[in-house]
Amino acid sequence: MIDGLLELARHRVEGGGGADALERRVERTSVAFEWGRLKAAGVTEEAGVNLRVLHRGRVGIAGTTNVGVGEVGALHAAPLLERALASAELGEEIALVFPAPSKLPRLATHSARAAEASLARLIEIGRFLLERLAREGCQVNVAIEREVAETRVANTAGAQGTYRSTGVAVSADLWRIAGDDVLAIGDALEGCDLPADDALDGVVRSITTRLDHALRIVAPPEGALPVVFTPAGLSAVLLPITQGLSGKAVVQGISPLGNRVGEQVFHAGLSLTDDPLAPGRTASRPLDDECVPSRVTCLVQGGVVQRFVYDLETAARAKTESTGHGQRGIFGKPVPAYTNLVLGGDPDSRRAGAQHAAPLQLGGGLLRDITDGLLVDELIGVGQGNVIAGGFSHPVALAYRVERGEITGRVKDAAVAGNVYDLLKRIGGFGSDARWTGSRYAPSVLLEGVAVARR
Amino acid sequence: MIDRLTAALQGSRADFTEIRVETSWSSAVTVRGRRLESATASEDQGGFVRALNRGCGWGTASFTSLDQLEAMVVRADELSRAVRLERPIRLAPVPPQQAEAMLDLDGDVRGVPLAEKKRLIEAYNGAMLAVSDRIVDTLATYRDEVSEYWYANSEGAVLHELRPEVTLSGTAVARRDGTIEKGLESIGLRRGWNAVQDEAAGFRAAAERAVRLLEAPSVPGGAYPVVLDPELAGVFIHEAFGHLSEADFVYENPQAREMMTLGRRFGKKVLNVGDNGAAPGLRGTLPFDDEGTPTQDSALIREGLLVGRLHSRETAAAMSERPTGNARAISFRHPPIVRMTNTYIANGRGTFEDLIKDIKLGVYACSAFGGQTLLENFSFTAAYGHMIRDGAMAELVKDVVLAGNLFQTLDRIDHIAGDFRWNQMGGGCGKGGQYPLPVTEGAPHVRIEEALIGGDVPA
Repeated sequence: MIDGLLELARHRVEGGGGADALERRVERTSVAFEWGRLKAAGVTEEAGVNLRVLHRGRVGIAGTTNVGVGEVGALHAAPLLERALASAELGEEIALVFPAPSKLPRLATHSARAAEASLARLIEIGRFLLERLAREGCQVNVAIEREVAETRVANTAGAQGTYRSTGVAVSADLWRIAGDDVLAIGDALEGCDLPADDALDGVVRSITTRLDHALRIVAPPEGALPVVFTPAGLSAVLLPITQGLSGKAVVQGISPLGNRVGEQVFHAGLSLTDDPLAPGRTASRPLDDECVPSRVTCLVQGGVVQRFVYDLETAARAKTESTGHGQRGIFGKPVPAYTNLVLGGDPDSRRAGAQHAAPLQLGGGLLRDITDGLLVDELIGVGQGNVIAGGFSHPVALAYRVERGEITGRVKDAAVAGNVYDLLKRIGGFGSDARWTGSRYAPSVLLEGVAVARR
Repeated sequence: MIDRLTAALQGSRADFTEIRVETSWSSAVTVRGRRLESATASEDQGGFVRALNRGCGWGTASFTSLDQLEAMVVRADELSRAVRLERPIRLAPVPPQQAEAMLDLDGDVRGVPLAEKKRLIEAYNGAMLAVSDRIVDTLATYRDEVSEYWYANSEGAVLHELRPEVTLSGTAVARRDGTIEKGLESIGLRRGWNAVQDEAAGFRAAAERAVRLLEAPSVPGGAYPVVLDPELAGVFIHEAFGHLSEADFVYENPQAREMMTLGRRFGKKVLNVGDNGAAPGLRGTLPFDDEGTPTQDSALIREGLLVGRLHSRETAAAMSERPTGNARAISFRHPPIVRMTNTYIANGRGTFEDLIKDIKLGVYACSAFGGQTLLENFSFTAAYGHMIRDGAMAELVKDVVLAGNLFQTLDRIDHIAGDFRWNQMGGGCGKGGQYPLPVTEGAPHVRIEEALIGGDVPA
């Protein structure tokens, strides 16, 4: 496929350069239930090639979806290469080294059962959820998407890898509008295989449990309080940390963690690992999009910063090695990106658990000792503003008041604020409800002294 | 191409079939600090088929290999037949249009070498860096695209369009000791190379603002009379009200329908809101939407009362209303869904000075770093602000976050000036996984009698 393109590139690049390329072919099948009824079914077939050249010491990039069926023939390859070379004429000089061939880890990324599931089977999954989520006065949206892909990456140094993968994503949102009070509660499942019925039941329980507690609206508390962030609610807390652990931020000199490797920055119970080899997860792959074999990267261990994630280019700029975190689309250049992020004391706990353990008990046991506080499931405006500095201030979208160890109702018109670099020094506990939320595996986390305000 | 599409439509067994095909050429150059981050040129192409049969749901197929067109027409029909419905989907009638609409390319970006584009954005980036040695980092991006577009459906519509787009964006980061402030500039036009040759002043102003914000105090949190500048007022009406007026949110949800009943009061008599996909020369403007419906100016709020909403052919039929030309898709990878185009608060009377003259203590909130609406709650971060003291604009302030409840806030708009302008910015709108859709917002200066400013919380 892309081998002809790389062969062509090998003869054109000058100054001891080289090239690498990625080709991806994807077929997606989707089913959508809108406001409680099956509405549409669709397929997507997409193919594309992304090419990078190192020409006279400079990097050039080009991408196309104009690849035809089968081989990327000379017809399509030649103009793509010309565009990449033109891009390199303008590029900055960089000492990029394409990795040599190496042995790849064995990893199952493909499920024949998922790949072969009929449209009727996908519709059945949707109906299963709809029937169990139906409530008087509520409306439900369900979407199911199955993806079958083939990825090939190769470079002129001889490294290469090809793998097939499958992914199934199931999401459900329940909407309840009462007067001007709009409530939306959702959950999603994602994995290489079709979800089992008990995992779907988990989605139903997760939504209905949060709905039952949300029907009663109570006044928010105020002050510096204990706040439990659910696995989904943790986004605002983890985003500054993952931005700070990216080699790209470190190279730019904007990461607060840039010169703190080996330091105890966080509570000793905090560990963070990136795991591209986690079984059954859609972000797992045997090698990254730049031919670097996958391996587990420990980012934070026992509260001590261990290392950052790099792709080839940021590694070259930082004068270090790629950690295998190069991610590229059909257009644009590779960027460092996480695969599966695992938070918690014991990084191996996920291997044993189900892909989706439903929280029957919100807060995973952390609410018991709270006299007055909050349980935060979703915030508004996460990612706005100067995130990397660690400060946050967000109105709540879905949060509950906790009094004397129990949820007493949903709070509206409240905001939470703090700085994650302060708050993560004094973690009050990790819940027993660890689960996957997209490509993140985390339990609920209790943080002490979070500023809570009424609006 | 048109002949291929018509032939493929004739081969379809479905009751209704439509095909979109797009080819786009784009390039992008990004500069960070004094370093080029990337310069790329890309070509993207593909098609989308949607089929509907009586008693069945939608079947859709999107693809990058145009050789597959005929096979995809068959797939879409099969998928439609696999979705059995109790209540049928109906499409409101739209007279089939035949049109060639070649928009003015205004200097075809495809003929300009990448090196020229690099020189242009480096000059604008240089204008930010030259402002002060307090500017420690910059990010400047040039992006352009020309797409050729074909649409045909089994009712006889045949459209062929050429659509240009060019966007510039800049971020200047200023630092003094531990304090870091940002200034943003963003321009987005449905034009070409000629339209972006004289933009250094805006980039310079963004960097100057970042430096000035280093010295500015944070706004003291609290409830104030708040005046929004046209840019923030535009973002506000798009985010906080526009999305609720999209009929796919209400058409099959009885509770939402009740909340959005036509005739409901949303604001005082001064408030008039609309969405105009036909306004000349704007980023959200196109002659037809992605179902081949002509775009139009739709009134949404008139004198404070809800009078309309945005429709696709399907939502219009379901609510016995008329299609408004708001079914849009960001590319051939997606189905058309109900979206805004150019959303606006209409002109009122008087000047900015008239709005502030009787405010003893208030906040003038300007431009937007970002904003999010979730259900009936919103949170917007203004890029900067000024205190209003004794009827006049006073000192520069920062950290101006405007948060509140949409219904309450709309109802508290009590004065709208007569200085309307469109904000021709880059970026775009996101919904249902489709981002960024080119849209524009416009407004005059708008006064809210009381709103909560700050978000600063007692620690």
